Amino acid sequence: MKHFYALILLVLLGASSFRSYGQAPEPLVSGNFQGLSVEAFARRLEAQTPYRFFFDSVAVRGVLLTVQAQGQPLASVLQQALAPTALRFAIDEEHNVFITAGTAVSTALLESYFRGAPGAAAAGNAPAAGPVGPAAPAAARGTDSPARLYEIGAAGAAGTGRATLAGHVREAKSGEPVLGAAVYIESPAIGASTDQFGYYALTLPVGPHVLNIRGIGIKNTQRRIVLHADGQLDVEVAEDITALKEVLIEAEKDKNVAGMQMGLERLDLKTLRQVPTAFGETDVLRVVMLLPGVKTIGEGSTGISVRGGATDQNLILFNDATIYNPSHLFGFFSAFNSDLLKSVELYKSAIPARYGGRISSVLDIATRDGNNKQFAGTGGIGLLTSHLTLEGPLAKGKSSFLVGGRTSYSDWLLHTLPSQALRQSAASFYDLSAHITHEFNEHNTVYATGYLSHDRFKLATDTAYAYDNRAASLKWKHIFGNKLYGVLTGTGSEYQYRITNDKNPVNASALTFGIGQVGLQADFSYFHNATHTVEFGGSTLRYRTAPGTLAPLGSASLVVPDALPREQAQESALYASDQINLTPRLAVYLGLRYSLYQALGPRDVAQYAPGEPPSPGGARDTLHYGAGAAVATYHGPEYRVSVRYALADNASVKASYNRTRQYISQLSNTATVSPTDIWKLSDAYIRPQVGDQVALGYYHNFKHNTIETSVETYYKAVHDFVDYKSGASLLLNHHLETDLVNAEGKAYGVELSIKKITGKINGWLSYTYARSLVRVNPGTPADRINGGEYYPSNFDKPHDVTLVGNYRFSKRFSTSLNFNYSTGRPITLPLATYVIGGAERVYYSDRNAYRVPDFYRVDLGLNIEGGHKVKRLARSSWTVSVYNLTGRKNPYSVYFKSVDGKISGYQLSLFGQPIPSVTYNFKF
Amino acid sequence: MLRFTKYFSGALAVALGAGLAGCVEPYAPDVISAPNRYLVVDGYINLQGVSTIRLSRTKNLNEPVPPPAETRATGYIQDDAGARYPLYEVGGGTYASAFLTLSPARQYQLHLHTAAGRDYDSDPVAAKPAPPIDNLTWDRDYAGVHVYVSAHDATNATRYYRWTYAETWEFRSAYPSAYVYNRTTGVMEPRTENINLCWVSANSTAIPLSKTTALSQDVVANFPVISLPENSVKLSIGYSVLVQQYAQTPEEYAYWEKLKKNTEEIGTLFDPLPTQLTGNVHCLQDAAEPVLGYVGAGAVTERRLFIDNHSLPSSIRFQTGYETCAPPDKVLLSDVRSYFTNPTSLPLYALYDPGSGAVIGYAGGSAGCTDCRLRGTNVKPSFWP
Repeated sequence: MKHFYALILLVLLGASSFRSYGQAPEPLVSGNFQGLSVEAFARRLEAQTPYRFFFDSVAVRGVLLTVQAQGQPLASVLQQALAPTALRFAIDEEHNVFITAGTAVSTALLESYFRGAPGAAAAGNAPAAGPVGPAAPAAARGTDSPARLYEIGAAGAAGTGRATLAGHVREAKSGEPVLGAAVYIESPAIGASTDQFGYYALTLPVGPHVLNIRGIGIKNTQRRIVLHADGQLDVEVAEDITALKEVLIEAEKDKNVAGMQMGLERLDLKTLRQVPTAFGETDVLRVVMLLPGVKTIGEGSTGISVRGGATDQNLILFNDATIYNPSHLFGFFSAFNSDLLKSVELYKSAIPARYGGRISSVLDIATRDGNNKQFAGTGGIGLLTSHLTLEGPLAKGKSSFLVGGRTSYSDWLLHTLPSQALRQSAASFYDLSAHITHEFNEHNTVYATGYLSHDRFKLATDTAYAYDNRAASLKWKHIFGNKLYGVLTGTGSEYQYRITNDKNPVNASALTFGIGQVGLQADFSYFHNATHTVEFGGSTLRYRTAPGTLAPLGSASLVVPDALPREQAQESALYASDQINLTPRLAVYLGLRYSLYQALGPRDVAQYAPGEPPSPGGARDTLHYGAGAAVATYHGPEYRVSVRYALADNASVKASYNRTRQYISQLSNTATVSPTDIWKLSDAYIRPQVGDQVALGYYHNFKHNTIETSVETYYKAVHDFVDYKSGASLLLNHHLETDLVNAEGKAYGVELSIKKITGKINGWLSYTYARSLVRVNPGTPADRINGGEYYPSNFDKPHDVTLVGNYRFSKRFSTSLNFNYSTGRPITLPLATYVIGGAERVYYSDRNAYRVPDFYRVDLGLNIEGGHKVKRLARSSWTVSVYNLTGRKNPYSVYFKSVDGKISGYQLSLFGQPIPSVTYNFKF
Repeated sequence: MLRFTKYFSGALAVALGAGLAGCVEPYAPDVISAPNRYLVVDGYINLQGVSTIRLSRTKNLNEPVPPPAETRATGYIQDDAGARYPLYEVGGGTYASAFLTLSPARQYQLHLHTAAGRDYDSDPVAAKPAPPIDNLTWDRDYAGVHVYVSAHDATNATRYYRWTYAETWEFRSAYPSAYVYNRTTGVMEPRTENINLCWVSANSTAIPLSKTTALSQDVVANFPVISLPENSVKLSIGYSVLVQQYAQTPEEYAYWEKLKKNTEEIGTLFDPLPTQLTGNVHCLQDAAEPVLGYVGAGAVTERRLFIDNHSLPSSIRFQTGYETCAPPDKVLLSDVRSYFTNPTSLPLYALYDPGSGAVIGYAGGSAGCTDCRLRGTNVKPSFWP
């Protein structure tokens, strides 16, 4: 009974990171342990107590333990048992017992802490229970030590009131900033999260505190401070190695409930790695597609729809630089090398005010900073691709580099195939990323990122395709003081493609398209006090597009050079937001972004009869705008508001409303995103897209915050997104406006999700009911689609169930299982057939009136880690996976085709049988 | 021009080759039926000759019957000066004009009045006579045998081209038959008619289209109209194709291009969205009634090409269409009556006793494998060399 109460107490107390940890009475151990190995001993103690034991099995090999205990405290039993051996132990407040050879590990806990009286500058750094012999001095890493008492600000300064403490949290080994870590004190409960730079700021009462730092992939860390006045405290935390995975996963704890953000999905590298994919390649976008609220049109496509939005409504940022085409090899791979990534954040609703430019979502992909202490590398070898990443210090502790590359050998594979048609084909890609961090001093840090991806393919036809993404960003972070810091960011992105056709010399030609953008933005964060956190800033962005150029190739070509005039536009925005913690239960985020867009000359704009939609041949006049003249101006506010109310420590309700504006559209009249889609800037005829979304969510955590549940519901309306008239021609169209129509969209849905983030079994299960509808109802009846009524968009797949599960057999073996079911996507089917020109033809139904059969897929993966010795030349791991385990032939599309004059129905499946793959990853 | 769909189907091919098990299977949806049967108008106004218009109705997807013909309609061609040229029903939903010589300078439209009392007009279209076909050539590469058409218009007036073609090829049945079994007399008689060598013809079902609007001159250079596998039965002995060239207005070209996209260039990774395509014919009583088909006006030019199997490598193992034929049966004299009374069995040649040289029976083959007339005609076409 006593144990039971202790357990209850533990659960309740541990429910929130911001809650105090109570010193639960240590469990009593009884038993006669005779000549047991350490493993067996630990197993028996684990059975009796809620404690978990960690030790290096090599170090304890051959050690036999003997002890008799009758209702004795755990620590005393351990002490007795280990005393005759060279083993030492330590217990932390997480109920973990660490048995080590020689010296006990520091669990970073202080006796004074457990007495609940922080502040006394006790010199000892004894772990929870006194081990035999002194614990290892945790101060081994310089002066950064949990034992040390940090005096912040000049002692004797105003001894009352509050002061602001700010600084960076970095990983001790690599010097990388730790983002999203919670930095908090428990009494009173005041906390903050580190931002993308690992920066935090807290306004605390002056006096002694114990500062707790918890985060993904780091060990829980504490610092004892005495705060006299505003000051800085940088904290280095140890990387959490695999043996301590439990702690690693517990890190995010109650963010789900206590955080302000809703509709945010955050993925770390570990989650990305364990999800099985079609070619064994860790793939950011593939995992994003498994998140609730994210849909794709099919398996071989990286175009995603977030909450019913279009594929061009997602802002994909790679270290703040926009990436226009995030895919390789027809969309089978995403264009990001996962080795470099630190985290991936997807904002589905409540998009913070600092982001703008796209309606549906923000996918923020951040790279790690390079290791600024020592040279290191990671790499992987897979069936179709290989990748290598190197990192190291440029100036020790101050600056670092991170360079990664990835390349495919699909070209070589193709040439070995028996089919001559395939041997004549070529398909290859590579991508390169580089990231440099330099810290000038504690107030100024510069980050530079470069990104390049290239795809080239020539199929058995006479046409060769190539496309490139280029992006770069340069960030300067300046800390003005404890309460204010700013980041100045310059970005540049470019996307272009080139299609060449040289088989027939008379028609030989090259078609090119390009878009580029250069932007500058300044973002400031101001930690006014514990109640107000203010962010503000501004940005401006210059777009330039070369919408299409056709040029002859070779002297025999009769192709007339044709070029659509270049277009340019300027998009600027100012924003401010304030996160107000009104009461400990109620917090409000108020944000406003105001964006201004101008399509700029030089440009000739066709004028159509007033009140009439643009129609071919309907142009009455052409108006010329000079260089820099505003051809069209659009502007408007974008509201970003959210509210959180904590119902209890483990439950909260959040609501948000946001408006977003988008001034650039992707034009594609294929159902999926293809590499040859073009981007079109808003102009006099193409109005910007405006989206409104309201969302409401309920969040509840169970079992010590290890199980997160949430229900989110949303309604979204999109105005003026671009759709096409039937049979529109989008390439080299000098009067594109005559083929486009403005459409209205609405989407609504409910997302239910259960996440288990810790334990041997972890993963998530989600169910989504979502609708996505479109209406094209322009003035002329002929241009109406489906009679001007709402019809399902290509992404309207109402029911979706996704399970992403991982089961860890041991520290070295784990299996992952994906299960995905969704309603089939809408398609247009033939209603009737008829004969014209001697062949059977079809008359189609209303657009998207039917659906392909339901989608269902199971993937299985096995991850095998090499040894976990920290000191080893290289750490390696194997991933074996089978994609589409059941071999179900999920229809990618259904179509009716006239073959030899007869209409027949076909269904096309891309991955119609199980696809096994093996990947070898290494790290040194 | 740049042909995307080719790339897209190629993309699938690469996917297949790279170990992705992409696959295409037949698909039969639950019964889909259209609420109505819409009128289909198939034909064009011929400036030089007989204009033929076929009227039919749409049918539901799963109905195995041919589309129902629209009979007992009346109609006429009318030019923009008001002159009318009546159409006469020739049966089976086909309507034809007299042999006409119409001015290419005028615009033409078709007027129809159905037996149900509804009136239909096609939009007036400019007449577009086609320029002559300059050349019709062929070559062979890894993908097969291709027939290319070349044409030009020195006045740069044509720009939009469409072709149809009629293929004819010579073929042999699996077994030659030297005898006819006379079922009334029970006597084996020598066969006088050759039923081993035949010719068969087929009209185009695909829609080859090309436009030269992106070129500085109105030149179609070696446009591939037909592609055949190199071992096609069509090439096994002799092959001939008559290519007909049409000039079109931009609107007519757009119609055929959409029709092609809707039914031919699909089934790829990046399919174009299908369009609810109708055409340029409208019901006068109900503007919202879908009417399918595009009625253009023009004059056709044509050119014929022959491909002899001697100009193809002798290593090619041609398909015969008779691959499934069983070897001939040996029919002893005693069984001749019972075996050959069945008209689906034909005698091939006599079997002799190796010693005495006497006829001991006949080889027998099925009619399907012996009589080529079941697949074509043994009357040599007039144009055949």
